[in-house]
Amino acid sequence: MYHNSSQKKFWTYDKEETLDKLRLEANQKFCSKAISSGKPGINESMFLDGREEKVLFRHYEKRLLDFCAMFKPVMPKSVVGTACMYFRRFYLNNSLMDYHPRTIMLTCTYLSCKVDEFNVSSTQFVGNLQDSPAGQERALEQILEYELLLIQQLNFHLVVHNPYRPLEGFLIDMKTRYPLLENPEMLRKSAEDFLNRAAMTDTGLLFSPSQIALTAILNSATRAGLKIEPYLIECIGLKEDKEILSKMYESMRRITSLMKAYELPRAEEVDPCKQKLERIHAEFASNLKRKHGYEDDDHVVKRQMVAEEEWTDEDLDAL
Amino acid sequence: MDDQGCPRCKTTKYRNPSLKLMVNVCGHTLCESCVDMLFVRGSGNCVQCNTPLRKSNFRVQLFEDPAIDKEVEIRKKVLKIYNKREFDFSTLKEYNDYLEQVEDIVFNLTNNLDVESTKQIMEQYQRDNRDVIQKNKAKLTREQEELEELLLLEQQDSEQRRLETLQEEQRQLQAKRKNKQALLDTLESSKLPAAVLLAQHKDRAAQLETQIEKQKQNVKPTNIFSTGIMIGQTVSLASVSRVEEVLYVYQPVYIDTYGPPVPELDQLGRQGYLNHVRTASPQDQAGGYTSGLACHRAIQDAFSGLFLL
Repeated sequence: MYHNSSQKKFWTYDKEETLDKLRLEANQKFCSKAISSGKPGINESMFLDGREEKVLFRHYEKRLLDFCAMFKPVMPKSVVGTACMYFRRFYLNNSLMDYHPRTIMLTCTYLSCKVDEFNVSSTQFVGNLQDSPAGQERALEQILEYELLLIQQLNFHLVVHNPYRPLEGFLIDMKTRYPLLENPEMLRKSAEDFLNRAAMTDTGLLFSPSQIALTAILNSATRAGLKIEPYLIECIGLKEDKEILSKMYESMRRITSLMKAYELPRAEEVDPCKQKLERIHAEFASNLKRKHGYEDDDHVVKRQMVAEEEWTDEDLDAL
Repeated sequence: MDDQGCPRCKTTKYRNPSLKLMVNVCGHTLCESCVDMLFVRGSGNCVQCNTPLRKSNFRVQLFEDPAIDKEVEIRKKVLKIYNKREFDFSTLKEYNDYLEQVEDIVFNLTNNLDVESTKQIMEQYQRDNRDVIQKNKAKLTREQEELEELLLLEQQDSEQRRLETLQEEQRQLQAKRKNKQALLDTLESSKLPAAVLLAQHKDRAAQLETQIEKQKQNVKPTNIFSTGIMIGQTVSLASVSRVEEVLYVYQPVYIDTYGPPVPELDQLGRQGYLNHVRTASPQDQAGGYTSGLACHRAIQDAFSGLFLL
């Protein structure tokens, strides 16, 4: 349950500014480290700033969702949600310049398949990449290399509570306790859409999954021109507690505004950032390689990675 | 157990229950008759390991495993030299190290590891600590003597007490007999009625009994015992202070779900929740699954953390 989960304890933040601050810190940490490395030809202008990182993050997150949507066999929604949340949590404390998002997004998806018991073999997994068998092999190697790092960066908090099950719960509850609403099933389609979009925002780091699910239902009902406020007041038991009710409306309003603020970055925005990112990774790949920590133990790493950056976005573009 | 036997003549305890097995310093067994036969001249070599042995060093084997007999023998010898005691050391650690060293030596000698160097260590130690060894030896013998004296005293005491009680019993018996005789005599000679005489006799008998009882109580208990604990002195074996603990009271666990209350699992059917979920197929139910479980979980998830701010 969410109320005693690590998600509530460690991964639910009070406001957006905290998240922005964490991301900025990660960005600055990388910059200062890169500058102090004393390599020739390094200046501030070649690094990504916070805005550019955001653009790239959204770009790769969309990539992740597209990859999951195309995945064969069909991936359950909760696996996608978990992968997305991993990706978000990882880049909360790491900069995109630290680790290439292309690898991390695949690793996140691979890990969430395991954690959420969506049973695919590793070869089956990379088989979903539109790539040559050799390229798939390399991708798998990278995934396995970064998997432990990812788990460590997630602080070993691997259980993610997605809003999909709460949505089901609310639908069942409404069918049972709120017969005024004739067909709650008609709310499902647009509520699920809402949740899918919510996965691409920071809502998962700010609100409980049940709040997001309820917002989805309310949103869907409003669209369909139905009123379900009586359900909230009568059944959820907010009749006497006006304070909680108003605060809940407030958080729902915040969720909706977060979702409205989301926009997919345009290609012309993404491309220059991407070039920058590739340059930084080409520059620092060599000296940041040993950053993973677990590599120091010879017995853990079976083979030294030789083809670190051999496969590129083009492999994914074919999706 | 029954295959314990002499390695030379192959006699076993089973075939000859009176077989006496002997063991010498090397830890190898021989039966008594073989020992008599082989060591006629008083010395010879062990049949199994060729160690030169003396006949006088043969002991009756006490343990099933002759190696233990050997170890006991060696330990006795080693402890004669290593006879320091705890108060000869300033710290407990030193004493423990010393004990460790002793164990090492015994182990080495028993298992024939580095025998030469171990013996050298022992000799070295003996030379270095000659005074202490002598002193401790004297002390030990003195203590031993004291103990023996005490035991002897005790024995004498108990013997004396036994004799006393024996005498006492005889005296009592005599008194009773005399009493009886007196009754008969008076019955014969007196002119008083028999009933009165009988009553008098009964009184006297009762007096005698009480006297005996009194004497028994007068027996003085000894107050010293060979264990060193004074008799009559109470030795508290229970722990000194008993800590009174408050009884555990069960506190039901309260979990804050930050949300509205969730209906109980067994109430779901009655409240009509189960009409809105897929019914479990027989295949699902075989493993213990019921549709209520999934339904309950979904509702729990829906309500958990709903009011979180």
